[in-house]
Amino acid sequence: MVKKEIVSFKINGRSYEVIVTPNMTLYELLKEQLDLTGTKRSCGVGECGSCTVLVDGNPTLACSTLAIAVRDKEILTIEGLAKGAQLHPLQQAFVDEGAIQCGFCTPGMIMMAKALLDENPQPTRQEVREGLGGNLCRCTGYVKIIDAVLAAAETMRKGGSQ
Amino acid sequence: MKPFEYFEPRTVGEATEILSNYGEKAQILSGGVDLIPRMQKSDIQAEYVVNIQKISGLEYIEPDEKEGITFGAMSRLRSIEVSKTIQNKYPILYEAIHQITSVQAKYMGTAVGNLCVATPASDVATSLFALGAQLKITGLKGERIEPIEKFYVDYRLTSLKRGEMVTEVVLPNPLPGTGTAFFNLVRTHADIAKISAAAAILVQNGICREVRIAIGAAAPTVFRAVKAETLFTGQKITPEVMNEAAETAAGETKPITDLRSTARYRKEMARVLVRRALEKALERATG
Repeated sequence: MVKKEIVSFKINGRSYEVIVTPNMTLYELLKEQLDLTGTKRSCGVGECGSCTVLVDGNPTLACSTLAIAVRDKEILTIEGLAKGAQLHPLQQAFVDEGAIQCGFCTPGMIMMAKALLDENPQPTRQEVREGLGGNLCRCTGYVKIIDAVLAAAETMRKGGSQ
Repeated sequence: MKPFEYFEPRTVGEATEILSNYGEKAQILSGGVDLIPRMQKSDIQAEYVVNIQKISGLEYIEPDEKEGITFGAMSRLRSIEVSKTIQNKYPILYEAIHQITSVQAKYMGTAVGNLCVATPASDVATSLFALGAQLKITGLKGERIEPIEKFYVDYRLTSLKRGEMVTEVVLPNPLPGTGTAFFNLVRTHADIAKISAAAAILVQNGICREVRIAIGAAAPTVFRAVKAETLFTGQKITPEVMNEAAETAAGETKPITDLRSTARYRKEMARVLVRRALEKALERATG
């Protein structure tokens, strides 16, 4: 028997109660149940990194994660980064450096970059390249993305907003 | 994704009981990086999914004076990659994991899950073959320990019986004088290997006392090139002996042609990679 059940989730500091079935992915939960449309699905098979969100701080592919399996965890999506109108330094740096072309890979890039900077606040260029190794940009814009992450790291080290 | 019944056992005992009840209709969910996409593509039909993430005590990397090191079924590839003990004592396991580009897949995925997928292209498996890894397998009736070579039966087929799961990997202490090396060839590091090889050599006074040569993506499973090993053991290590061992090892492959490579190329590159792995392992053993 496949059961539907009411499950609570903690997403971007808010609690949600949602009716889920076990076969619902975390991506489907965010997009289809909660209208958190910032997280993008590109390949849908865990190869491109577009759907990256943080689960208890760990970068996680929402398309390859069962929602029910992360019910007791802290989930952070791109919508949880800005404080009101104040962009997160990573978001601001992506804008300032022109690191966005079509924008579809951007939420995943930023969430992965956040995980990277949380762990290593002063990465080298090579460490940023390796950290974003699982995130594909098909507009071929990696140079500016890496520039943006390094710029954001500097802002954050200087105690820039957030 | 097709519907299924979902379980979150809290102990290995509960998990093995569920697995035993449902047999082939049940799938273990550990990291999910292989299972969930394959269930979405209907490559795998699971009526029951057994999530082992909530079982406490399966996520650890523990040094052990006698055994070397052990890690659990839920130990993530990322934790193994960044472990200083692994980097120092088992550099080829670090290298095999480090060259995987997707950081997300390494945060999610487990080494044991990677082994249980049983693809011959597993770089993790190839390095663990060369390191002489053993697997602890737990079932309803208790535990058994199996060398990794025995675990692989055929393409995507392991020795796991109904109700069993791999709970631990045991790596023996490398003997002093041992050197190891791992190499692979890939289209891009975001892809799986076309071919891979790993070697571990124990050298004493220029003589090879013990060797393990593992080859990945060149047969239905990762395998040890046993004929080449036999040829090499007890020999004075010279370029000629290394060439002959590499040639013999290539002869032991049974590669296929697919989108990544032709069989002929794989066989030829098996020779090249085994030769490189022996050279580098020797350098590390004596350097």
